[in-house]
Formats: sequence, C-alpha cells, structure tokens
Amino acid sequence: MNKWLRASAVLTLVALAMMVWSVLRPTPLPVMLAMSLGQAVGTAAFGIYGWVVLADLRRIRRDAKRAQELGLAEAAVEAPAAEAAVEAPAAEAAATKPPEPGS
Amino acid sequence: MHLDAFAVIALAGAIASALILIWYLVARPQLNRVTKLALLLGIGVFPIATAGSGNYAGFEATKHREFCGSCHVMTPYLEDATDPTSTGLAAIHTRNAQFGEESCYTCHADYGMFGTIVTKMGGMRHVYLYLTEFRNKTLAEAKAEIHILRPFPSSTCRRCHTTSAPKWSEVGDHAALLKELRAGEVGCVGEGCHGPAHPWSKQP
Repeated sequence: MNKWLRASAVLTLVALAMMVWSVLRPTPLPVMLAMSLGQAVGTAAFGIYGWVVLADLRRIRRDAKRAQELGLAEAAVEAPAAEAAVEAPAAEAAATKPPEPGS
Repeated sequence: MHLDAFAVIALAGAIASALILIWYLVARPQLNRVTKLALLLGIGVFPIATAGSGNYAGFEATKHREFCGSCHVMTPYLEDATDPTSTGLAAIHTRNAQFGEESCYTCHADYGMFGTIVTKMGGMRHVYLYLTEFRNKTLAEAKAEIHILRPFPSSTCRRCHTTSAPKWSEVGDHAALLKELRAGEVGCVGEGCHGPAHPWSKQP
C-alpha cells in the first residue's frame, strides 16, 4: 500500500512540476506538456491514491467483519465452558458437602 | 514573465501540495486517518486547484503575442506587428489598445460559441505543422510557404467595424457589397480592398 502511495506522491510531484514550468515559462512546449502529459500523470496519481484508500477501507471493513465473526464463534465456544466452569465448583461443593445431621 | 491571479493560485497550490508530499515521502508516516487526509490534500485537492487555475493561466498565456511569436517562423510577423512604423493591418491593430498584447489571437481566433476550442484545435495543427515541416526551415523558406488556411473572414473584422454605422455605409463599395459582406461571401482583407494584413501577405 505504502509503496503505491509513494509512487502516487512522486507522480503528483512530476505533474506539479510540469504545471509550474508552464506557468513560469508559458511557451508552447511547457504549456502543451502541462495540459496533456501533466494532466494524465496527475490524474493517474490521484487514481492510485483513490484505489489505495478504497482498498484500505475495504480491508478495514473485512477485518472488522472477520473479527466480529471470530468474536461470535469464540463467544459460542466460551459460553458452555463458562457455564461448565460455573457448574463445576457447585457440583464439587455438593460432592464435598458433609451429610446433614440426621440423614 | 506574466503572472496573473490564476498563475499565483496555481503556484500556491503547487507549493502547498509539494510540502505535504515531500513530508510524506521523507517522514514515511503510518497510514492512518490523518495521513490519508493530508494526502487527499496533497494528491487531490491542491493539485486539482493547481491544474484548474494553471490550465486557465495557460490558456490565457496562449493568447499573448509573445506566445505566437515563440516559434522562429513567426518572428517576421511578431516584428512587423510591434513595429511602430509599419502600416500593415496587423501593426495598425496592434497599436490599438483594445488589441494590445493579444493582437494575433484577437484577429485570428474563430468567433462563436465554440470559437475558443476551434481556435485551440487550429493551434494544435500549427504545432504539428511546425514540428513536422517548418522546424528546420529558414525564415526565408518558411515566409514563402506560410499562408492562411482559409480566406480571412469578414465576420472577424465586423466584430468591431459594424456594417450599420452611417460612416461605413457612406463608402460606395461597402454599400454595394453590404449583403455579400454580411453573408461572409466577400472578405475585407482577402479580396484586396484592405490590407495587406502583414506587409508580405499579398505578394504572389
């Protein structure tokens, strides 16, 4: 992800350099380059950024969903165990309970 | 160097964007919400502002006479237009404050709704011809070959020289050719009544 974003940042700097060149030196070559290649490079850079951010958001959403699913599964596994853990001391207590007098 | 408000906005946007991007490339921060927002400004918002205002500044720059004269084959045209002693139509009109620095564009731009676009497309054709044919030609060779693509339309002249002014109608040829002039069938310059636009324009 970061590699793509760095590429996007570098491409944006290239496009900006072309645009600045055309503004500071408005002769045919810089102006044409800025309005054609510069636009294409800048648009590509923004496209890469959008794609990376979108992919990152989808990854976050997917991770959250998976965590939620895992959380539910763990809860389902843990619930009987917890119940057993609660019941076990009670049974143990019942087993070790001294007989009531007169029984 | 000519810097108008749009050029200043373009430069300011470019500087702001460059600062953010250089920070990102040098500092290599974690990709969290703040970084994403900063990059949205650095890759999206500021460059788009720079492109919008820079393109406009570029379009404006293409109207300047120096821009037209920056190809060497246009040198004689540029020199004649700015010659205070020249009696060619181009020079006379360049001395008019209404034409000023944009005298080439004012006379050679197409009129109408899509005039600017059509003119820019024509300009691209000029660039193509320059790169493929005229780039390595001497001034003398180029001057002999360069010619206007179509007869200069009278509608361009009529933007300022109205055909309804009494003084204009007093001229016999104007009155006689009024219908044809308005229909664009007769030109003011091309057919020989006025001009030459440039001193050598009507040479055989």
